[in-house]
Amino acid sequence: MNWLNDNVNQLALLGAAAILILTIAISAKYFKDIKEGKSEGELKDENWDGIGEYKNNSPIGWSLAFIGTIIWGIWYWLAGYPLNAYSQIGEYNEEVAAHNARFESKWANPTKEDLLGMGEGVYLVQCSPCHGIDATGIEGKAQDLTKRLLKKSVLAVIEEGSAALGDKEMDGQGKFGYSMGEMPPGLVSGADAEAVAEYVANGFKGNERGAEVYANACASCHGPDGRGMDGMSPNLREYDDKIIEAVLEHGKQSVIGTMPSFKGMLTKVQERAVAAYIRSLSE
Amino acid sequence: MFGWLEKNPFFFAVGVFVVIAFAGLIEIIPDFAQASRPLVGTKPYSVLELAGRQVYIKDSCNACHSQLIRPFKSETDRYGMYSLTGEYAYDRPFLWGSKRTGPDLHRVGNYRTSDWHANHMWDPTSVVPGSIMPAYKHMFTNVTDLETAFAEALTVKKVFNVPYDKDIDGDGKIDVVLGDSPADFEAAKQRALQEALVIAKETKREDLVNMVKEGKIPEIVALIAYLNRLK
Repeated sequence: MNWLNDNVNQLALLGAAAILILTIAISAKYFKDIKEGKSEGELKDENWDGIGEYKNNSPIGWSLAFIGTIIWGIWYWLAGYPLNAYSQIGEYNEEVAAHNARFESKWANPTKEDLLGMGEGVYLVQCSPCHGIDATGIEGKAQDLTKRLLKKSVLAVIEEGSAALGDKEMDGQGKFGYSMGEMPPGLVSGADAEAVAEYVANGFKGNERGAEVYANACASCHGPDGRGMDGMSPNLREYDDKIIEAVLEHGKQSVIGTMPSFKGMLTKVQERAVAAYIRSLSE
Repeated sequence: MFGWLEKNPFFFAVGVFVVIAFAGLIEIIPDFAQASRPLVGTKPYSVLELAGRQVYIKDSCNACHSQLIRPFKSETDRYGMYSLTGEYAYDRPFLWGSKRTGPDLHRVGNYRTSDWHANHMWDPTSVVPGSIMPAYKHMFTNVTDLETAFAEALTVKKVFNVPYDKDIDGDGKIDVVLGDSPADFEAAKQRALQEALVIAKETKREDLVNMVKEGKIPEIVALIAYLNRLK
């Protein structure tokens, strides 16, 4: 009889017993009244075809509560809820502000484990529907986040150029996600492009001709090591914080497909956490 | 106290009317509030989007998906900005839904893409492992009923003065072109086909692109147009 040890079950049983006893007692009282009760009291003046009615005024306590509720209702309508005391959006704003303050103080100095844990959570909720739970991009439907770049992506960018994760429509400041700005199309072509794409997609090794082309055509912006010269241009070696933040803010259009912008959906710490988590996948 | 009312049917009826009218007023008056007017810049649905809305209704998406994000942090984290009354101004009927077997869709256009929807509707578990949503493969072959959607748009334009063929955002261009009479259907169909072709190409499915090129819009394309519109 394990279930009897559960206090909810005990309370439920107790309640059921109380209801049963009360029901029996009250029904017994009314049955007794029906059998033995005599009508008594003062009759009202009205009389309908010989059928009269006893005077049966409402109890004072009940009447006071009734009138009190009406008065409270008028107060509530005019001075309470709808006009000045409460707003659902206001409560929401307070809730969010309180949460954000708590969030910021709790994660002011996150450790690497904190970031990885948070990043995995955010990834599973926001990113996995497209990039897949294992982050391999669901058979080419989205970017494979366990690798930095595919050969076809590099080739497409070489051919078409790139807006450096910026918004081409925007003017002036903030036009480009990276200070190097837009990458012009067709910097290399043909076999050179093939070679350098293979070299970059392979993690900067394995293709000597590609290495040569890279050094001549790409290194001046992306840096000799491909790490983007401290955030001046996209890092081609790994997913650094800057590229994750830029993609989350601007979205991304590539040969694989279109990623929508997640601007305003994540906090700065969460963006760093996602970046840390994604980096951990390719390590 | 009110014993005399029982002897005066006329005044009794007046009393009943006042009580019922009062309750009605409480429900009706808020509909005239500023908050219930169309949110500034809200555009009516295009014919293709309306057709997609009909598919959404026909296949009972609203039985499992809501379209109303409540102002709680737990909801806005998942689904985006909370919903406002004025955003539903051109929804007839509204599709708030009352049960979330699946997630809320009110802003799904912000974070999903056409190809994702196509993959998902073809085989939900291919993109969301463990999803209990059924596949909707018939949508890839069924042809959308554009005539009804056009008739609906024309009706709400004439009867409710929904701002089709008007400049809503003030950029000097007409925002949602519709037409004035049933004779404008052919032009509307061509516009819908153009919109549909863009979406069909985004889904990267040859069969959908071919259907649209033949002048038939698959239901899935109309539905995606509608879902992409939900922002």
